Amino acid sequence: MIQSLNKAGDADPLIRPKTIEDQISATLRLSISNLKARLSVTDRADPEFVQSETLVHLVRHGRRTSNQTLISLVLPVLLNRCETNLLVKVPDGQIPEAASLREEILGAFSELFASDGVGDAPVELDFYECKFNRAFRFFRIDMVRRETARLKPIAQTPEQDLDGEPDAYEDVFARVSETFQASATQENEVFRSELMDAIQGLPPEERDAVILVHVVGYKEESDDPDEETAATRCNCTGRTIRNRLTRAAAKLVRFKEAL
Amino acid sequence: MTPTVTAGPPGLREALYALSIAKDIPDATLLDEMVRRYPQFGTELTEHAIAIAIDAFRGDSAVVAAEAARDPFAPSPAVSRAMSRFQNRLHSVSKSQIAPETKSLSIPSEAFNPFISLSREEFRSFAKRLNVNSVFVGKLRDRQIDPDYLTPGFQRRVADDLRAPLDLVVAHFAAAQTAGARGQFFKADGRPTNGGRQSFEEAVRSSGLSEAQQAALLAL
Repeated sequence: MIQSLNKAGDADPLIRPKTIEDQISATLRLSISNLKARLSVTDRADPEFVQSETLVHLVRHGRRTSNQTLISLVLPVLLNRCETNLLVKVPDGQIPEAASLREEILGAFSELFASDGVGDAPVELDFYECKFNRAFRFFRIDMVRRETARLKPIAQTPEQDLDGEPDAYEDVFARVSETFQASATQENEVFRSELMDAIQGLPPEERDAVILVHVVGYKEESDDPDEETAATRCNCTGRTIRNRLTRAAAKLVRFKEAL
Repeated sequence: MTPTVTAGPPGLREALYALSIAKDIPDATLLDEMVRRYPQFGTELTEHAIAIAIDAFRGDSAVVAAEAARDPFAPSPAVSRAMSRFQNRLHSVSKSQIAPETKSLSIPSEAFNPFISLSREEFRSFAKRLNVNSVFVGKLRDRQIDPDYLTPGFQRRVADDLRAPLDLVVAHFAAAQTAGARGQFFKADGRPTNGGRQSFEEAVRSSGLSEAQQAALLAL
Protein backbone atom coordinates (compact mmCIF):
# COMPACT_ATOMS: atom_id res chain seq x y z
CA MET A 1 0.00 0.00 0.00
CA ILE A 2 1.57 3.25 -1.15
CA GLN A 3 1.36 6.20 1.18
CA SER A 4 -1.35 8.52 -0.11
CA LEU A 5 -0.73 12.17 -0.79
CA ASN A 6 -1.93 14.74 1.70
CA LYS A 7 -1.65 17.97 -0.20
CA ALA A 8 -5.17 19.05 -0.92
CA GLY A 9 -5.97 21.63 -3.54
CA ASP A 10 -9.02 23.78 -3.00
CA ALA A 11 -11.09 21.47 -5.15
CA ASP A 12 -9.51 18.04 -5.08
CA PRO A 13 -6.61 16.32 -3.40
CA LEU A 14 -3.56 15.61 -5.50
CA ILE A 15 -3.56 12.19 -7.11
CA ARG A 16 -0.59 10.47 -8.70
CA PRO A 17 -1.02 9.26 -12.27
CA LYS A 18 -1.83 5.56 -12.43
CA THR A 19 1.44 4.79 -14.22
CA ILE A 20 3.39 6.40 -11.40
CA GLU A 21 1.43 4.51 -8.73
CA ASP A 22 2.19 1.27 -10.54
CA GLN A 23 5.86 2.07 -10.90
CA ILE A 24 6.16 3.04 -7.24
CA SER A 25 4.60 -0.25 -6.19
CA ALA A 26 6.99 -2.16 -8.43
CA THR A 27 10.15 -0.33 -7.40
CA LEU A 28 9.39 -0.58 -3.70
CA ARG A 29 9.61 -4.35 -4.09
CA LEU A 30 13.02 -4.27 -5.77
CA SER A 31 16.24 -5.14 -4.00
CA ILE A 32 18.80 -2.36 -3.81
CA SER A 33 20.90 -3.96 -6.55
CA ASN A 34 17.92 -4.37 -8.86
CA LEU A 35 16.82 -0.83 -8.15
CA LYS A 36 20.30 0.37 -8.98
CA ALA A 37 20.10 -1.45 -12.29
CA ARG A 38 16.82 0.27 -13.06
CA LEU A 39 18.26 3.65 -12.11
CA SER A 40 21.04 3.20 -14.64
CA VAL A 41 18.48 3.54 -17.45
CA THR A 42 18.56 7.13 -18.68
CA ASP A 43 16.39 6.97 -21.78
CA ARG A 44 12.96 8.30 -20.88
CA ALA A 45 11.40 6.21 -23.63
CA ASP A 46 12.72 2.96 -22.14
CA PRO A 47 9.98 1.16 -20.18
CA GLU A 48 12.57 0.42 -17.48
CA PHE A 49 13.22 4.13 -16.94
CA VAL A 50 12.31 5.16 -13.40
CA GLN A 51 10.28 8.36 -13.51
CA SER A 52 11.34 11.28 -11.35
CA GLU A 53 7.97 11.20 -9.57
CA THR A 54 8.85 7.69 -8.44
CA LEU A 55 12.30 8.78 -7.29
CA VAL A 56 10.72 11.45 -5.12
CA HIS A 57 8.50 8.86 -3.53
CA LEU A 58 11.42 6.50 -2.91
CA VAL A 59 13.45 9.19 -1.17
CA ARG A 60 10.46 10.17 0.98
CA HIS A 61 9.90 6.51 1.73
CA GLY A 62 13.54 6.27 2.76
CA ARG A 63 13.07 9.22 5.09
CA ARG A 64 9.94 7.74 6.65
CA THR A 65 11.58 4.37 7.21
CA SER A 66 15.06 5.71 8.09
CA ASN A 67 16.52 3.80 5.16
CA GLN A 68 19.75 5.70 4.57
CA THR A 69 20.85 3.25 1.90
CA LEU A 70 17.79 3.95 -0.18
CA ILE A 71 18.17 7.70 0.23
CA SER A 72 21.87 7.59 -0.61
CA LEU A 73 21.18 5.61 -3.75
CA VAL A 74 18.19 7.50 -5.10
CA LEU A 75 18.58 11.14 -4.09
CA PRO A 76 21.88 11.72 -5.97
CA VAL A 77 20.31 10.26 -9.12
CA LEU A 78 17.38 12.63 -8.81
CA LEU A 79 19.67 15.58 -8.11
CA ASN A 80 21.75 14.62 -11.15
CA ARG A 81 18.64 14.93 -13.30
CA CYS A 82 17.79 18.26 -11.71
CA GLU A 83 21.28 19.57 -12.32
CA THR A 84 21.05 18.52 -15.96
CA ASN A 85 17.79 20.44 -16.24
CA LEU A 86 19.36 23.50 -14.64
CA LEU A 87 22.41 23.42 -16.91
CA VAL A 88 20.08 23.65 -19.90
CA LYS A 89 17.48 26.01 -18.47
CA VAL A 90 19.77 28.36 -16.52
CA PRO A 91 22.80 28.42 -18.80
CA ASP A 92 25.93 30.42 -18.18
CA GLY A 93 25.57 33.89 -19.62
CA GLN A 94 21.80 34.10 -19.30
CA ILE A 95 22.09 35.82 -15.94
CA PRO A 96 25.11 36.81 -13.87
CA GLU A 97 26.35 34.14 -11.47
CA ALA A 98 24.33 31.45 -13.22
CA ALA A 99 26.51 28.69 -11.79
CA SER A 100 25.98 29.92 -8.24
CA LEU A 101 22.27 30.21 -8.83
CA ARG A 102 22.07 26.67 -10.22
CA GLU A 103 23.85 25.39 -7.16
CA GLU A 104 21.57 27.35 -4.87
CA ILE A 105 18.49 25.94 -6.58
CA LEU A 106 19.84 22.41 -6.35
CA GLY A 107 20.74 22.81 -2.69
CA ALA A 108 17.41 24.36 -1.78
CA PHE A 109 15.62 21.58 -3.60
CA SER A 110 17.56 18.91 -1.71
CA GLU A 111 16.53 20.55 1.55
CA LEU A 112 12.87 19.98 0.71
CA PHE A 113 13.49 16.30 1.34
CA ALA A 114 15.07 16.95 4.73
CA SER A 115 12.14 19.16 5.72
CA ASP A 116 9.54 16.75 4.41
CA GLY A 117 6.74 16.30 6.92
CA VAL A 118 7.75 19.25 9.09
CA GLY A 119 7.79 23.03 8.99
CA ASP A 120 5.64 25.43 7.01
CA ALA A 121 5.22 23.24 3.94
CA PRO A 122 5.25 19.66 5.19
CA VAL A 123 3.75 18.13 2.06
CA GLU A 124 5.21 20.33 -0.66
CA LEU A 125 6.81 17.28 -2.25
CA ASP A 126 3.36 15.88 -2.98
CA PHE A 127 3.33 18.09 -6.09
CA TYR A 128 6.53 16.42 -7.25
CA GLU A 129 5.02 12.95 -6.99
CA CYS A 130 2.28 14.01 -9.40
CA LYS A 131 4.02 16.12 -12.02
CA PHE A 132 7.70 16.32 -11.26
CA ASN A 133 8.90 18.29 -14.27
CA ARG A 134 6.21 20.93 -13.93
CA ALA A 135 6.69 21.25 -10.17
CA PHE A 136 10.45 21.56 -10.54
CA ARG A 137 9.87 24.11 -13.29
CA PHE A 138 7.99 26.24 -10.78
CA PHE A 139 10.78 25.82 -8.23
CA ARG A 140 13.40 26.88 -10.76
CA ILE A 141 11.44 29.77 -12.28
CA ASP A 142 10.59 31.11 -8.84
CA MET A 143 14.20 31.27 -7.75
CA VAL A 144 15.46 32.60 -11.07
CA ARG A 145 12.86 35.37 -11.12
CA ARG A 146 13.68 36.49 -7.62
CA GLU A 147 17.39 36.46 -8.35
CA THR A 148 16.81 38.41 -11.56
CA ALA A 149 14.67 40.93 -9.69
CA ARG A 150 17.38 41.32 -7.09
CA LEU A 151 20.05 41.95 -9.70
CA LYS A 152 18.02 44.22 -11.94
CA PRO A 153 15.41 46.30 -10.14
CA ILE A 154 12.82 47.22 -12.75
CA ALA A 155 13.05 50.89 -13.72
CA GLN A 156 9.65 52.28 -14.60
CA THR A 157 9.79 54.33 -17.76
CA PRO A 158 6.88 56.40 -19.00
CA GLU A 159 5.02 54.71 -21.82
CA GLN A 160 4.56 56.49 -25.10
CA ASP A 161 1.06 56.73 -26.46
CA LEU A 162 1.21 55.55 -30.05
CA ASP A 163 -1.21 56.25 -32.83
CA GLY A 164 0.07 53.49 -35.05
CA GLU A 165 -2.22 50.97 -36.65
CA PRO A 166 -2.08 47.71 -34.64
CA ASP A 167 -3.53 45.66 -37.46
CA ALA A 168 -0.42 46.32 -39.49
CA TYR A 169 1.41 43.92 -37.19
CA GLU A 170 -1.09 41.08 -37.22
CA ASP A 171 1.23 38.94 -39.32
CA VAL A 172 3.97 39.22 -36.74
CA PHE A 173 1.76 37.98 -33.94
CA ALA A 174 0.23 35.27 -36.07
CA ARG A 175 3.78 33.99 -36.45
CA VAL A 176 4.35 34.20 -32.69
CA SER A 177 1.15 32.22 -31.98
CA GLU A 178 1.97 29.61 -34.62
CA THR A 179 5.44 29.12 -33.26
CA PHE A 180 4.23 28.69 -29.70
CA GLN A 181 1.66 26.13 -30.75
CA ALA A 182 3.99 24.13 -32.98
CA SER A 183 6.09 21.52 -31.26
CA ALA A 184 9.81 22.12 -31.30
CA THR A 185 11.67 20.38 -34.09
CA GLN A 186 15.24 20.48 -35.19
CA GLU A 187 14.19 22.44 -38.27
CA ASN A 188 12.55 25.29 -36.40
CA GLU A 189 14.74 25.21 -33.33
CA VAL A 190 16.98 28.04 -34.44
CA PHE A 191 14.03 30.21 -35.37
CA ARG A 192 12.24 29.47 -32.11
CA SER A 193 15.32 30.26 -30.13
CA GLU A 194 15.87 33.56 -31.90
CA LEU A 195 12.23 34.56 -31.54
CA MET A 196 12.28 33.60 -27.87
CA ASP A 197 15.39 35.68 -27.28
CA ALA A 198 13.71 38.61 -29.00
CA ILE A 199 10.54 38.26 -26.90
CA GLN A 200 12.55 37.96 -23.72
CA GLY A 201 14.47 41.05 -24.71
CA LEU A 202 11.30 43.16 -24.89
CA PRO A 203 10.52 45.56 -22.04
CA PRO A 204 8.52 43.57 -19.45
CA GLU A 205 5.19 45.28 -20.07
CA GLU A 206 5.45 44.69 -23.83
CA ARG A 207 6.54 41.09 -23.34
CA ASP A 208 3.66 40.45 -20.94
CA ALA A 209 1.11 41.90 -23.38
CA VAL A 210 2.43 39.69 -26.20
CA ILE A 211 2.32 36.54 -24.07
CA LEU A 212 -1.09 37.23 -22.53
CA VAL A 213 -2.77 37.99 -25.85
CA HIS A 214 -0.96 35.77 -28.31
CA VAL A 215 0.05 32.79 -26.19
CA VAL A 216 -2.23 32.57 -23.18
CA GLY A 217 -5.16 33.68 -25.34
CA TYR A 218 -6.73 36.72 -23.68
CA LYS A 219 -8.57 39.40 -25.61
CA GLU A 220 -6.91 42.80 -25.43
CA GLU A 221 -10.04 44.22 -23.76
CA SER A 222 -13.78 43.62 -23.60
CA ASP A 223 -17.01 45.55 -23.31
CA ASP A 224 -18.18 42.96 -20.79
CA PRO A 225 -17.05 44.26 -17.40
CA ASP A 226 -17.02 40.72 -16.01
CA GLU A 227 -14.73 39.33 -18.67
CA GLU A 228 -11.05 38.99 -17.81
CA THR A 229 -8.75 40.34 -20.51
CA ALA A 230 -5.11 41.23 -20.95
CA ALA A 231 -6.05 44.72 -19.82
CA THR A 232 -7.68 43.55 -16.59
CA ARG A 233 -4.82 41.15 -15.89
CA CYS A 234 -2.33 43.98 -16.30
CA ASN A 235 -4.51 46.55 -14.52
CA CYS A 236 -4.45 48.95 -17.44
CA THR A 237 -6.68 50.03 -20.31
CA GLY A 238 -7.19 48.23 -23.58
CA ARG A 239 -5.56 51.15 -25.33
CA THR A 240 -2.43 50.67 -23.26
CA ILE A 241 -2.33 46.99 -24.18
CA ARG A 242 -2.66 47.85 -27.87
CA ASN A 243 0.13 50.40 -27.59
CA ARG A 244 2.39 47.86 -25.97
CA LEU A 245 1.61 45.32 -28.67
CA THR A 246 2.33 47.86 -31.37
CA ARG A 247 5.70 48.70 -29.90
CA ALA A 248 6.53 45.02 -29.44
CA ALA A 249 5.52 44.19 -33.00
CA ALA A 250 7.81 46.85 -34.38
CA LYS A 251 10.68 45.10 -32.65
CA LEU A 252 9.63 41.63 -33.78
CA VAL A 253 8.80 42.52 -37.37
CA ARG A 254 11.89 40.79 -38.74
CA PHE A 255 10.35 37.44 -37.76
CA LYS A 256 7.28 37.97 -39.93
CA GLU A 257 8.55 36.12 -42.98
CA ALA A 258 10.73 33.59 -41.26
CA LEU A 259 10.02 29.95 -40.32
CA MET B 1 23.65 35.74 -3.79
CA THR B 2 21.40 33.90 -1.43
CA PRO B 3 17.94 33.45 -2.89
CA THR B 4 15.87 31.26 -0.68
CA VAL B 5 12.71 29.39 -1.34
CA THR B 6 9.76 31.75 -1.51
CA ALA B 7 8.06 32.09 1.80
CA GLY B 8 5.51 34.73 0.88
CA PRO B 9 2.04 34.98 2.30
CA PRO B 10 0.37 31.72 3.34
CA GLY B 11 -1.06 29.93 0.35
CA LEU B 12 0.92 31.75 -2.35
CA ARG B 13 3.34 28.91 -2.91
CA GLU B 14 0.55 26.40 -3.12
CA ALA B 15 -1.33 28.60 -5.60
CA LEU B 16 1.73 28.88 -7.85
CA TYR B 17 2.37 25.14 -7.68
CA ALA B 18 -1.26 24.47 -8.57
CA LEU B 19 -1.00 26.72 -11.61
CA SER B 20 2.30 25.20 -12.65
CA ILE B 21 1.34 21.55 -12.57
CA ALA B 22 -2.12 21.93 -14.12
CA LYS B 23 -0.96 22.34 -17.74
CA ASP B 24 2.23 22.52 -19.69
CA ILE B 25 1.37 26.04 -20.86
CA PRO B 26 -1.37 27.89 -18.97
CA ASP B 27 -4.23 29.27 -21.01
CA ALA B 28 -6.73 32.00 -20.17
CA THR B 29 -9.29 29.53 -18.84
CA LEU B 30 -6.83 28.00 -16.40
CA LEU B 31 -5.46 31.34 -15.25
CA ASP B 32 -8.98 32.69 -14.69
CA GLU B 33 -9.84 29.59 -12.69
CA MET B 34 -6.75 29.93 -10.53
CA VAL B 35 -7.36 33.61 -9.91
CA ARG B 36 -10.94 32.79 -8.90
CA ARG B 37 -9.56 30.19 -6.51
CA TYR B 38 -6.83 32.43 -5.13
CA PRO B 39 -8.11 35.99 -5.76
CA GLN B 40 -5.56 37.50 -3.39
CA PHE B 41 -2.73 36.32 -5.66
CA GLY B 42 -4.02 37.49 -9.04
CA THR B 43 -0.92 39.50 -9.88
CA GLU B 44 1.50 36.76 -8.84
CA LEU B 45 -0.42 34.11 -10.75
CA THR B 46 -0.48 36.24 -13.89
CA GLU B 47 3.24 36.95 -13.68
CA HIS B 48 3.98 33.30 -13.15
CA ALA B 49 1.75 32.19 -16.01
CA ILE B 50 3.72 34.48 -18.31
CA ALA B 51 7.00 33.10 -17.02
CA ILE B 52 5.81 29.51 -17.57
CA ALA B 53 4.71 30.29 -21.12
CA ILE B 54 8.08 31.77 -21.96
CA ASP B 55 9.88 28.85 -20.37
CA ALA B 56 7.75 26.23 -22.11
CA PHE B 57 8.47 27.83 -25.45
CA ARG B 58 12.02 26.56 -25.39
CA GLY B 59 10.86 22.98 -24.94
CA ASP B 60 12.55 20.14 -23.12
CA SER B 61 14.28 18.29 -25.93
CA ALA B 62 17.71 19.56 -24.91
CA VAL B 63 17.08 18.46 -21.31
CA VAL B 64 15.97 14.99 -22.39
CA ALA B 65 19.04 14.56 -24.58
CA ALA B 66 21.43 15.79 -21.90
CA GLU B 67 19.80 13.57 -19.30
CA ALA B 68 20.12 10.49 -21.49
CA ALA B 69 23.80 11.18 -22.05
CA ARG B 70 24.67 11.57 -18.38
CA ASP B 71 25.92 8.86 -16.04
CA PRO B 72 23.26 8.81 -13.31
CA PHE B 73 25.74 7.54 -10.73
CA ALA B 74 28.44 10.13 -11.31
CA PRO B 75 27.51 13.03 -9.05
CA SER B 76 29.08 16.34 -9.90
CA PRO B 77 30.58 18.52 -7.15
CA ALA B 78 27.34 20.52 -7.17
CA VAL B 79 25.28 17.39 -6.56
CA SER B 80 27.64 16.33 -3.77
CA ARG B 81 27.26 19.71 -2.13
CA ALA B 82 23.48 19.49 -2.49
CA MET B 83 23.62 16.09 -0.75
CA SER B 84 25.63 17.73 1.98
CA ARG B 85 22.99 20.43 2.39
CA PHE B 86 20.36 17.74 2.58
CA GLN B 87 22.27 15.95 5.36
CA ASN B 88 22.92 19.16 7.25
CA ARG B 89 19.30 20.20 7.00
CA LEU B 90 18.23 16.74 8.04
CA HIS B 91 20.45 17.01 11.07
CA SER B 92 19.03 20.36 12.11
CA VAL B 93 15.48 19.11 11.56
CA SER B 94 16.22 16.01 13.64
CA LYS B 95 17.70 18.13 16.41
CA SER B 96 14.73 20.46 16.49
CA GLN B 97 12.37 17.53 16.76
CA ILE B 98 13.99 16.23 19.94
CA ALA B 99 11.84 17.14 22.91
CA PRO B 100 13.47 19.64 25.27
CA GLU B 101 13.35 17.24 28.23
CA THR B 102 15.03 14.53 26.17
CA LYS B 103 17.62 17.02 25.05
CA SER B 104 18.59 17.86 28.59
CA LEU B 105 19.24 14.22 29.40
CA SER B 106 21.29 13.44 26.34
CA ILE B 107 24.92 14.10 25.74
CA PRO B 108 25.08 16.79 23.11
CA SER B 109 26.44 15.69 19.78
CA GLU B 110 27.75 18.27 17.36
CA ALA B 111 27.28 16.27 14.19
CA PHE B 112 24.86 13.92 12.55
CA ASN B 113 25.93 10.31 13.03
CA PRO B 114 25.73 8.65 9.61
CA PHE B 115 25.86 5.21 11.24
CA ILE B 116 22.82 5.74 13.38
CA SER B 117 20.26 5.01 10.71
CA LEU B 118 21.94 1.87 9.42
CA SER B 119 19.95 -1.29 9.82
CA ARG B 120 21.73 -4.39 11.07
CA GLU B 121 22.05 -5.61 7.50
CA GLU B 122 23.39 -2.28 6.27
CA PHE B 123 25.81 -2.18 9.16
CA ARG B 124 27.21 -5.57 8.14
CA SER B 125 27.28 -4.62 4.48
CA PHE B 126 29.27 -1.55 5.29
CA ALA B 127 31.75 -3.63 7.32
CA LYS B 128 32.08 -6.00 4.39
CA ARG B 129 32.73 -3.20 1.92
CA LEU B 130 35.38 -1.73 4.18
CA ASN B 131 36.77 -5.23 4.78
CA VAL B 132 36.61 -4.95 8.57
CA ASN B 133 34.55 -6.52 11.35
CA SER B 134 31.68 -5.11 13.34
CA VAL B 135 33.93 -4.35 16.32
CA PHE B 136 35.90 -1.90 14.25
CA VAL B 137 32.77 -0.36 12.71
CA GLY B 138 31.42 0.06 16.24
CA LYS B 139 34.47 2.13 17.05
CA LEU B 140 33.83 4.31 14.04
CA ARG B 141 30.18 4.67 14.96
CA ASP B 142 30.92 5.56 18.57
CA ARG B 143 33.78 7.94 17.73
CA GLN B 144 36.23 5.90 19.74
CA ILE B 145 39.10 6.84 17.46
CA ASP B 146 40.94 10.11 17.84
CA PRO B 147 40.12 12.08 14.66
CA ASP B 148 43.67 13.46 14.55
CA TYR B 149 44.86 9.98 13.58
CA LEU B 150 42.36 9.42 10.80
CA THR B 151 43.94 9.96 7.40
CA PRO B 152 42.05 11.78 4.64
CA GLY B 153 42.27 8.60 2.58
CA PHE B 154 40.59 6.54 5.26
CA GLN B 155 37.83 9.11 5.79
CA ARG B 156 37.24 9.27 2.04
CA ARG B 157 36.96 5.50 1.94
CA VAL B 158 34.44 5.49 4.79
CA ALA B 159 32.38 8.17 3.05
CA ASP B 160 32.39 6.20 -0.18
CA ASP B 161 31.47 2.94 1.51
CA LEU B 162 28.78 4.63 3.58
CA ARG B 163 27.56 6.49 0.48
CA ALA B 164 27.52 9.63 2.56
CA PRO B 165 29.04 13.07 1.88
CA LEU B 166 32.66 13.33 2.94
CA ASP B 167 32.17 16.45 5.04
CA LEU B 168 29.39 14.72 6.94
CA VAL B 169 31.69 11.82 7.77
CA VAL B 170 34.55 14.13 8.72
CA ALA B 171 32.19 16.12 10.96
CA HIS B 172 30.99 12.91 12.58
CA PHE B 173 34.49 11.76 13.50
CA ALA B 174 35.44 15.21 14.74
CA ALA B 175 32.38 15.57 16.97
CA ALA B 176 32.29 14.87 20.69
CA GLN B 177 32.18 11.23 21.71
CA THR B 178 28.72 10.13 22.82
CA ALA B 179 27.34 7.27 24.87
CA GLY B 180 26.73 5.40 21.67
CA ALA B 181 24.11 5.42 19.02
CA ARG B 182 20.74 5.31 20.66
CA GLY B 183 18.51 2.70 19.18
CA GLN B 184 21.48 0.90 17.68
CA PHE B 185 22.37 -2.68 18.45
CA PHE B 186 25.33 -3.74 20.54
CA LYS B 187 26.85 -7.13 20.17
CA ALA B 188 29.47 -6.76 22.89
CA ASP B 189 28.74 -7.69 26.50
CA GLY B 190 28.89 -4.10 27.60
CA ARG B 191 27.75 -0.93 25.95
CA PRO B 192 30.41 1.27 24.38
CA THR B 193 32.30 3.30 26.88
CA ASN B 194 32.86 6.99 26.92
CA GLY B 195 36.49 6.56 27.78
CA GLY B 196 39.52 8.00 26.07
CA ARG B 197 39.89 7.69 22.33
CA GLN B 198 42.29 5.33 20.67
CA SER B 199 44.74 6.21 17.99
CA PHE B 200 43.85 4.83 14.61
CA GLU B 201 46.58 2.20 14.79
CA GLU B 202 45.51 1.13 18.30
CA ALA B 203 41.94 0.81 17.10
CA VAL B 204 43.01 -1.29 14.14
CA ARG B 205 45.31 -3.52 16.22
CA SER B 206 42.77 -4.13 18.98
CA SER B 207 39.70 -5.03 16.93
CA GLY B 208 40.43 -8.66 16.14
CA LEU B 209 41.19 -7.99 12.48
CA SER B 210 43.42 -10.25 10.41
CA GLU B 211 46.94 -9.15 9.53
CA ALA B 212 45.87 -8.49 5.95
CA GLN B 213 42.90 -6.40 7.05
CA GLN B 214 45.08 -4.39 9.44
CA ALA B 215 47.67 -3.78 6.74
CA ALA B 216 45.06 -2.64 4.25
CA LEU B 217 43.55 -0.18 6.72
CA LEU B 218 46.84 1.26 7.83
CA ALA B 219 47.82 1.80 4.21
CA LEU B 220 44.84 4.05 3.53
